[in-house]
Formats: sequence, C-alpha cells, structure tokens
Amino acid sequence: MTRVGIDALTYYLPAYAPTLSELEALGALRGPASTLAGFGFERARVAESESHVDMAMHAVRALLSETDTSPDEINLVLYAGALTSSSTMECSPAPAGSVLRLRDFMDFFKYPVSQLQSELDLSNASVAGIDQQGCAAIFSSVRLARATLLAEPDVHTVLCVSADRLPHGASREVVYNLVSDGACAMLMRREPKRNRIVATHQVTKGAFWDSGSLENEIIAAYFPTARTVIEDTLRKAGVTLDDIRWVIPHNVSLRSWEILLGLIGCPREKLFSANIGRVGHTIAADNFINLRDAADAGLLHPGDLLLLFTFGYGLNWSCMVLEH
Amino acid sequence: MTSRPASERRTILVTGGTGTLGAELVSRLARGSHASVVVLTRGTARPRPAVPPNVQMLTGDVRCGPTFGLDSSDAATLREHITDIVHCVADTTFNRPLAEARATNVAGTQAVLAFAKECQHLERMACFSTVYVAGRTTGCFAEQDVGGADGFVNSYEQSKAEMEAVVRDAMRELPIAIYRLSTIIGDSRTGEVTGLNAIHHALRLLYQGLAPMVPGQETGLVDLIPVDFAAKASHYLFEHEFSPGATCHLCAGAAGSATLGALLDATMTAFERYRPAWRKRSIARPAIVELETYELFVRSVEEAGNQVLLQATRAVQAFACQLAYPKVFDNRHAGVVLARAGIAAPNVLEYYDRVVRWCVEKNWGTAS
Ligand SMILES: NC(=O)c1ccc[n+]([C@@H]2O[C@H](COP(=O)([O-])OP(=O)(O)OC[C@H]3O[C@@H](n4cnc5c(N)ncnc54)[C@H](OP(=O)(O)O)[C@@H]3O)[C@@H](O)[C@H]2O)c1
Repeated sequence: MTRVGIDALTYYLPAYAPTLSELEALGALRGPASTLAGFGFERARVAESESHVDMAMHAVRALLSETDTSPDEINLVLYAGALTSSSTMECSPAPAGSVLRLRDFMDFFKYPVSQLQSELDLSNASVAGIDQQGCAAIFSSVRLARATLLAEPDVHTVLCVSADRLPHGASREVVYNLVSDGACAMLMRREPKRNRIVATHQVTKGAFWDSGSLENEIIAAYFPTARTVIEDTLRKAGVTLDDIRWVIPHNVSLRSWEILLGLIGCPREKLFSANIGRVGHTIAADNFINLRDAADAGLLHPGDLLLLFTFGYGLNWSCMVLEH
Repeated sequence: MTSRPASERRTILVTGGTGTLGAELVSRLARGSHASVVVLTRGTARPRPAVPPNVQMLTGDVRCGPTFGLDSSDAATLREHITDIVHCVADTTFNRPLAEARATNVAGTQAVLAFAKECQHLERMACFSTVYVAGRTTGCFAEQDVGGADGFVNSYEQSKAEMEAVVRDAMRELPIAIYRLSTIIGDSRTGEVTGLNAIHHALRLLYQGLAPMVPGQETGLVDLIPVDFAAKASHYLFEHEFSPGATCHLCAGAAGSATLGALLDATMTAFERYRPAWRKRSIARPAIVELETYELFVRSVEEAGNQVLLQATRAVQAFACQLAYPKVFDNRHAGVVLARAGIAAPNVLEYYDRVVRWCVEKNWGTAS
C-alpha cells in the first residue's frame, strides 16, 4: 500500500501579539479578559497590514526554501480558508461590519490561490480552493491531497496551504475562544520522510449551518460528536488511544480540551498544549503549527502516533492519525 | 389513642394529595375504602384533579406548625376524626437551598407528626420518602439501610434523610411506615406525566440539543417507576399489609431498571419516531462521562456566564450527579409482599417510550 504523508511544513504568524488585557482595552473581546484567561488564553496574533494571501505566501516561501524545493516541483496547490473569501484584496480599511471590501462584482473572481501560484511561480501546479468548513478546511485539503496522490501517478507533490485573518476591528473572541491570524503550508508526497497519514475522518452536520443563531446548540453539539469522531478515527487507523503518543490539538480553549480529554479518557499529559496560551486559535493552521513546534521541541520521534483533531463551523469535526 | 368504634367510618388525611403521587393515591383511597378523605395542601396554582364527592379539600401549610395554619376549631375537629394519615407533602425540587428544603420536608413533617400525636383515633400513618436518601452511596442499598453515610447529591435527598430520622424517632409512639419511592417518570399506561421533574427537564434539554453530556456509566442501572405502580403498591401496602415500623422500597429494582446507555438510546429512538423532523437536527446522543468531567463542564459554563447553558445545566445538575453513584435498591421486603398480590414494577423499557412520546407530543405538558 502506497504511503502518503506530510513531508514538510512551515507556518507564519503575524508579529503583533497583543495580550488579553490589551485586546480588552481595544474593545476586541466580547466578554471579560479574565474569562478567556481562565480558559487558558494569554495573547492573540493579529495581522496588521498583511492579507491572508500575504501570510500564505510567507509560509510557502519559507517551506520551499527550507526544503530546497523548486517551485516547478509542485503539481497541485490546495488553498484552504475558513472565511468565504475568494477575494485577494487587502482588507484594510474595510467598511464597518463588512468582511470583504468589494469595489466591483468582478472582485469575486480574484482568487487567492491563483495569485499565490502566480507570485510564487508555481507554473507546473494546477490549483483549487477549499473552504466552507470553518477551521476544518485544512484537514480536508490534506485528505484530498492524499486521495490525489494515491489516484494520480503524475502528481508527485501537493502543496496544501491555509491562511485566514479576521477583518479589521472584528472581535477576537468567538465562542469563548481567542482567535488569531496565521497561515501554514505543507508539502505532501508519497513515501514521506515523516508524518504518514494513517487515517482521516470527517463528520459534517449541516443542520447547524446557521452558526450565528445556534451558538448554544453548537457548544453542546461539539463534545459528544468530537468523541465519536475521535473514536471512529482511531478505529479506522486500527489503533487505540493507548497507542497515541501525542494529541496535537486545534487551539480552542485549554478548558474545552480538558473536558474533551475527559470524554475520550485520555491523560492530560498527552496533549501538546504549549501553544494554546501563547498563539491562540488560528482559524487556519493550529494543528500544523503545533505539529511543527512539537517536532522542533524534540518531542516527536519516528514512529510516534499522533492524533490531530479540529472542529469548524458548518459544522465539521475532522480528525486524523499520523505516524511521525 | 383509642380505636374508633367499628361502626364509624375511617377518615384519611392525605397531605399533599394533589401532587404527582398524592392525586393518584387520593382517587384510590376514595374509591376503594369506605372512608372520607381529607386532602391538605396549600392550594397553589397546580390544576386540581376532579375531586370525588367523599374527598374534602383543606387549604393549609405544614410549615405553619401542627395546626397547619387552619382555624383552631377546624384543626381540633380534624384531629377528632382522623384515623389514618398519608403524608405526601414534600418540597420535591432538588436544588432548593437546604434551609428551604428542611422547612417543608423536616419541620413540616415534624408538624404533621405533632398533629398525629394528638389524633386520638389514629390507627396508621404512612410517610413517603425517597430511595435516594441513599445519597452518594454506591452498590446495594437495602430497606433497613439509613442513607447519607457518603453525603448527598442535593438538598432534597438530605432533607428527606433528615425527615426519615425524625419519623423513625416518632415510630416509638406512632404506628408509622415509611414508603421510599424511586423516581416517578410517568404513567405506564398512557405515558402521561403529571408532575415534571428533573428527568423530564433533562429530556427536554436533550430534545433541544442542549445536553452535551451526563455523568454516569454506560452500564449503570437507572431505577425509575411509573406513577400507577407507585400508587397501587403504596395503596396496597397501606390498606392490606400495613406494618408499623417498616421501611419499604417501592422501586423497579435490578430487574425493572435499564442501563443509562439503554435509556439514552431509547430516548433518541423515541424522539426520532415521534418527531421525524427532529432527526434532521443531527443532535448527538449525550456523552456519558465521569463526574469530574461533567463538573468541569458545569464550572466552565458558570465561568463563561452563558445564561442559556447555565439554566440548562442547573436544571439537571442536581439530579444528574446521582447517576455518577450507581446503585441498586434492594426491595426484598416490599417486593415479596407485593408479589403475593401480583404487584410488581414493570421494566422501565416496557413503557418508557410512551412517556417520551407524551413529552414530545404534549410539548412537555404545554400543548393541549
Ligand atoms: N415524584 C417522585 O418522583 C417521587 C420520588 C421519590 C419520592 N417521592 C416522595 O413522594 C411524596 C409525594 O411526592 P410528589 O411527587 O407527589 O410531590 P409533588 O408532586 O411535588 O406534590 C407535593 C404536594 O405537596 C403539597 N405541598 C407542598 N408544600 C406544601 C406545604 N408546605 N403545605 C401543604 N402542602 C404542601 C403540594 O400542593 P401545594 O403546592 O398546593 O401546596 C402537592 O400537593 C413526597 O414525599 C416525595 O418526597 C416522590
């Protein structure tokens, strides 16, 4: 059986990292900073002038240079994003309350992934955008990259990239989580040096599509389905929680992870939680930022089984098991 | 106390005779025995069931001491005639401040006992309690056991255990039996629920998709009984097998109980069956979790200050935590006596579907 995995990954985080109290003073939180602090957050990463495409390009440039990969090697680019933004326009200044600053209807056809392909000279790559899954979009792009690598012999290298930023002035607090801007980029290949994908699994519950009006129902729905999705992924991978060395989380609150760990019966020590406080919850890239940092910290060893879980509006629960 | 002349009718005082159990008992007592029945309640908003002609309604409050706040001559007349007392009054809300729960359940019962001591013709008295005086105890809880050694889950349980202590004390002077009921969930024949309790609130939250988790164990048994069994069994024991000093468990026992997992499955199945559109809402079966995890969730909801989830968790918390202390109620004594009369609690899964159906179709009693 051909093995597919994440051969290399990098990420980009904006330099500006306001603390919770600074964000509170800026009016960028819905509730008191103390609540978010109690849930394990410390600071957010907030993009200033950079658009999400700028952040994506930063991450991809670093990836190509670190791995000494020529742009010509990339056969396919999958660009994931949570906020349905097909636009490449700069977000600043945006009219109050709006996410996009559309000057013209034709702006809808300015695609980030095409801009990225052009600016980074990925001329052998075809492209696709993946969205409408909230923070789970990057998991879908990994899943689709794997399927493509297994199905199409002439595709050797897939670049998965994910980037999101909240519009200027938007609240940084979403459902008791502190939201950051950021991007990640990954090279996916057959017979990878590390991070072989053992199993992926996703559940979508479209009944909750109207996220704004179903906040309480969404909080309640999150936990039981998260548990079944994690259990089903482990089953697909043919492993148990005991076999998992690290849980690499999405950076929703530490508190909600403690509850979820209780639900699945996983010891707290298995959670790589160092980034929840200092990075916050980047919509686009949490698990992969954490995967990279855990590796750089020397915590991961070849053969370690890793469980990655995320959740996105839509609603989408996504999970994968990797063999490092 | 002297025995009444055989020619005289019995007069049965039923305190709390309009409640979930009391209303069922009153109609049985009024129907079955050649007796007058006097019902004592505060007469609050609860819609009064149709009252048979030999039932007299009195408005009083057990918290007002041994005259219940009645006119003193009325109280004296009552004392003169009473031959039987069935004490059903209780504050059955699980999460009242302890002092409030005690005011009705302990001090109110002391008032009824003081009243009983003055009833010259009193022949027997039943005091209703709950099997959950067991509190946090796990394992087997028997009829002779006194609960609370491991503490209690809520103020209701604690106040009822304290009530039992007071009643046991009075047993030295009065012919009293304690009937400990399991949780009443509805009518096994119709599914009708006359008094919504924490279980029905939990069902509603589950239906609304606001119940992410419950504490307990998948295979832990949940003891539930239908109101018709509770009334029939207690009526039979009181009328035909009265045993002063006895404590009787009127419960489903291991044979009549279902596991928490099976009950959750049955709930989801019934929701889908009786509201096919509910399926589209993709609401997951709540996760069964350890108490520690459940309490962390509740604490997080409190800290977040989310009012909707806060109300939801508070509505079930006081009851739900009991699920984390799995236990089986031994009903050897009452079970044998009742079995001789062919009375046994049905297995909850035989009628549970009807109760959930009633809740769904009547929108928890708000639909006509
Ligand atoms: N239902 C259950 O699942 C269950 C389970 C275990 C044990 N039990 C026990 O069984 C007995 C009956 O319970 P239930 O469910 O029928 O109770 P219920 O439905 O809550 O009814 C309580 C009754 O007491 C009356 N009452 C309450 N406070 C009073 C006061 N201060 N003075 C006078 N009357 C008062 C109420 O009428 P007003 O409000 O009009 O006064 C009502 O008639 C109680 O001892 C209870 O602890 C019940």
